[in-house]
Amino acid sequence: MNPSLIVLLVIIPAAAGLICVPLINRLNTCRLVGVVGFALNLGLALSLLGACSQGDTSAIVTQLGGWSAPYGIALVFDALSGLMVAAASLVALACLIHASGSLPDPVERRYFHPLVNFMMAGVNLSFLTGDLFNLFVAFEIMLMASYGLLVLGRGKAQLAQAYKYVLLNLVASAIFVIAAGMVYGLLGTLNLADMARITTELAARDALPAGFTAVGVLLLFVFTLKAGVFPLWFWLPDTYPTCPIAITALFGGVLTKVGGYAVARIFPLVFLVGDAAAVLQQIILIGAVLTMAVGVFGALAYRTLRRSLAMFIIVGVGYALFGVAVGEPGAIGGSVFYMAQSMIVMAAAFLACGLIETHLTSDDLSDGGGLLKTHPWLGVLFLIGLLSIAGLPPTSGFYGKFAIIRDALGAGFTWTALIAIGVGALSILAVLRIWCESFWGPDPVVQPRDAEARAAALAREPSASGYAALVLLIAAALCIGILPQRVVGIANAAGQQVTDPGAYIAAVMGPDARPPAAESHHDTPAPAPAHGHDAAHDTGHDATHAPQTHTPAAPHPPAPEAQTDPTPDPHQDLPVAQPAPDPVPDVGPVPTPEPEPEPEPAPSAPRTGPEFRVQAHGQQMAAAPHDPAMERRP
Amino acid sequence: MTFVMALCVTACVGVSIYLLLGRDLKGVAMGVFLLGHGANLSIMAMSGSPVLPAENATAAESLKAAPILGAHVPSPALANMVDPLPQALILTAIVIGFAVMGFLLTLLIITNRSTGTLVVDRLANEPVSTTRTDTRAEPFLPSGTPS
Repeated sequence: MNPSLIVLLVIIPAAAGLICVPLINRLNTCRLVGVVGFALNLGLALSLLGACSQGDTSAIVTQLGGWSAPYGIALVFDALSGLMVAAASLVALACLIHASGSLPDPVERRYFHPLVNFMMAGVNLSFLTGDLFNLFVAFEIMLMASYGLLVLGRGKAQLAQAYKYVLLNLVASAIFVIAAGMVYGLLGTLNLADMARITTELAARDALPAGFTAVGVLLLFVFTLKAGVFPLWFWLPDTYPTCPIAITALFGGVLTKVGGYAVARIFPLVFLVGDAAAVLQQIILIGAVLTMAVGVFGALAYRTLRRSLAMFIIVGVGYALFGVAVGEPGAIGGSVFYMAQSMIVMAAAFLACGLIETHLTSDDLSDGGGLLKTHPWLGVLFLIGLLSIAGLPPTSGFYGKFAIIRDALGAGFTWTALIAIGVGALSILAVLRIWCESFWGPDPVVQPRDAEARAAALAREPSASGYAALVLLIAAALCIGILPQRVVGIANAAGQQVTDPGAYIAAVMGPDARPPAAESHHDTPAPAPAHGHDAAHDTGHDATHAPQTHTPAAPHPPAPEAQTDPTPDPHQDLPVAQPAPDPVPDVGPVPTPEPEPEPEPAPSAPRTGPEFRVQAHGQQMAAAPHDPAMERRP
Repeated sequence: MTFVMALCVTACVGVSIYLLLGRDLKGVAMGVFLLGHGANLSIMAMSGSPVLPAENATAAESLKAAPILGAHVPSPALANMVDPLPQALILTAIVIGFAVMGFLLTLLIITNRSTGTLVVDRLANEPVSTTRTDTRAEPFLPSGTPS
């Protein structure tokens, strides 16, 4: 399979958005373009996921513009990002179908379709990108479109609340820029894999630069603000529920998960090493537990349906972060599974909420009740969605929570795991309260002057597209819940990849990473050294690993497995990411370097065979290049 | 030079935090823009000054070189080249910040027209009514129509 296909996951929504701009007054054409685009995206993501899980490559990497890894921007499609892209595309598809029936036409003409498509282009790019600054750009694409969607229709409540979301995200963006600059100043790179390579190597020598933890905290602030984690959650129940319901569903399903994904992708890969891990892991853990608790109490306390559901988004983010904080492969796999299914289920619950609102006069729970008599199937669909949110066994939410709590108990996080179980119990209480008050309970007391309006609302014709979207999402959630093997397999593969940065580094940088030399041989007579290979460096400055970097044929000094070391590669002038001999005897087969050299960086061949996946964190880079961060230290 | 840059960053961020803590959204918006400028300046400070010629370069100074050049500067003309990457980052951030600035000011104008105030306390008194936002057959008001 051609690896550059993954670019299509970003290009299709962007192109669909552009097509929709001149056609904005032909609503049916726009809807068709959007639906076809998201369906194509979903199909492509699923087929690529299949190729990922069955083939011998665990990640599909494409280097944009042919610029090889540390210099260009890499897009990485692996189990984690692929699952997120697939779930987000499904949610966007359903929300678009729902919106075509529920959004008033004049509002839809105010560039709803281009904005949704551009937002999904940003979302998919932030899932796929392998570059920290490109992640910032992707966030901005996503956020600009979401600002537009947030005030679409210009309701008074929307406008009065929108400033919270916009201003907080602008502050977060500025801090992201500062943090990205600091990362570049400390590590000399913005490529995630390159960052991981350097920090792993520095942590192994206990030489992380000063301020590394602080940069981690800054980035954590940025991502957790997007995710709605505990101290930074307050904007979410104020802003999301004010939008038209299809947009609320899209935001509630997708946007917070982007923040959760960024934490799950970047922190285990780059920042949870050495001394920084102890601090950051505690912050994530405490934040996750408080997030769950605040979310579930908020869901119990609010009297309106939309706000209660918005608090359930926060509960879900708490569980996902808890799995990341636990850090076991199984727990991270559980988080990935939970995030993917939570996108689908939260969007389904919001879409059901939209249908309920058409039949009641408001989303206030006190106005609800007795709806089961007139709309039994809506009640059943809504109940399935709510039970998935709470995580009861036959539904899709169960496995994620189960895996997270199981691994948390196994890893000794007893108290936090008990809190998570308690939050699960309270979630069941909260969802049953919502369902009973809207569907099962007695008819509400209706004032005589409202009785006519209520009767008219109850008899209102259900919107076919609304039900179609809801059924699509609920069916997907049920499939995941009843037949979870495929998704669990992908999520566990994602958990393995996240906890083992070696595979990611090898996939992006190439197992025999020599990209800079291959490029600069052509135009400079003296071979320009790789990024970080300074001449000043091997003139006795850091003699401990200078011989390794510049005399490649010499065996590694520790050399417990000397048979792997003299590689037959004649071009081995820069063994930057040469897989190190594995000094731990019990982790698996001894890694054998590729015998034949690749003349070019070969973005099409990530070659993450099993030999690279068994590398433990910290053993990837015995032949380490010069680290800028080392030199910065006094 | 680093000291001057640090002073500039401090001034920008300090003033912006003062503005961000205000009650009026116009001031808060100015604070956000200033924070963006502070962020750009801080990247500038990290990009450092031009690299020294290779033979007298210490390792710390050669870090400021363009990474694509490495320490073996191919020609003397390139010896004073600054690392271009932070400047590319700043340029991107400036462009994005400009777009966001336009959006935010538009949002504030429309908010002021619709709610009649830009003071946070009064906006907070607006009910977060979510009553049938999308089912209500509310006529769409083209821009400029007083609501």
